[in-house]
Amino acid sequence: MTDNTEKTGVEHRRDFLKKAALSVAAAGTAAVASKTASADEAMEVTGSGYRETDHVKAFYKSARF
Amino acid sequence: MSAVATNDQNRLTEEDLLRAEMYEFLAALLRQEPSDELIGLVAGLKGDNSSIGSASTVLATLASKLANDEIRDEYMRLFIGVGRGELLPYASYYLTGFLNDKPLAKLRNEMQVMGIERAEGVKDPEDHIASLFDIMAGLIRGTFDAPNDLAAQAAFFKTHIDPWAPLLMQDIEAAKSAVFYAPVGTIGRAFMEIESEAFDMDEAG
Repeated sequence: MTDNTEKTGVEHRRDFLKKAALSVAAAGTAAVASKTASADEAMEVTGSGYRETDHVKAFYKSARF
Repeated sequence: MSAVATNDQNRLTEEDLLRAEMYEFLAALLRQEPSDELIGLVAGLKGDNSSIGSASTVLATLASKLANDEIRDEYMRLFIGVGRGELLPYASYYLTGFLNDKPLAKLRNEMQVMGIERAEGVKDPEDHIASLFDIMAGLIRGTFDAPNDLAAQAAFFKTHIDPWAPLLMQDIEAAKSAVFYAPVGTIGRAFMEIESEAFDMDEAG
């Protein structure tokens, strides 16, 4: 698969995804996704990546690894 | 020069937005038994002739033809069961044969660095496939206060998802209990292939 123009890896990636995205867009999965529980509900941002609250400490303690 | 999204959500390309939405779509279906509302939305899907497209059409047909309670029972048989479901959709289990093993520990460490944690009340370990898909969607959208450039997304995908999610999707397709969820597995498998190939293209450049 050779191109006349020199495409970077990122450009190849975008072209590839654009084609694949057509199927996804056509299917309408976006409409489903936007109306459902999102990552916001299942994941919480702790704020500072390195701050350990009591809650997080207890959580990791219970994991025991 | 690339237009890859940084933490600035306004610069999300159209295809990255669709990627995030596909992760969220799959996560919504795999996270818990589907609500009437979700099943209703799925019934509206309409696809083209691609793998994802035709599986979406099949899924929509099943969503309208099967009773909602039947679909929920199927989810329970597949993923919950009594003690365990037909399938165990956890990274640790697929990678080592054991739940709550090293892959989960590694994920938890990374999540801590990324500044995210499992929400209170969520019982599943973090390496549940829906949780990993939620994280990918969050990375693409720049929701978390962590690097979310393509390299970060690729690293997360290749470490925590790529080694096992395609196998899980195949298992879902082939599961004895799977009727509604079989095309979900097909869509998931096709999407994982797209993601994997697309990340490789970026590297090749």
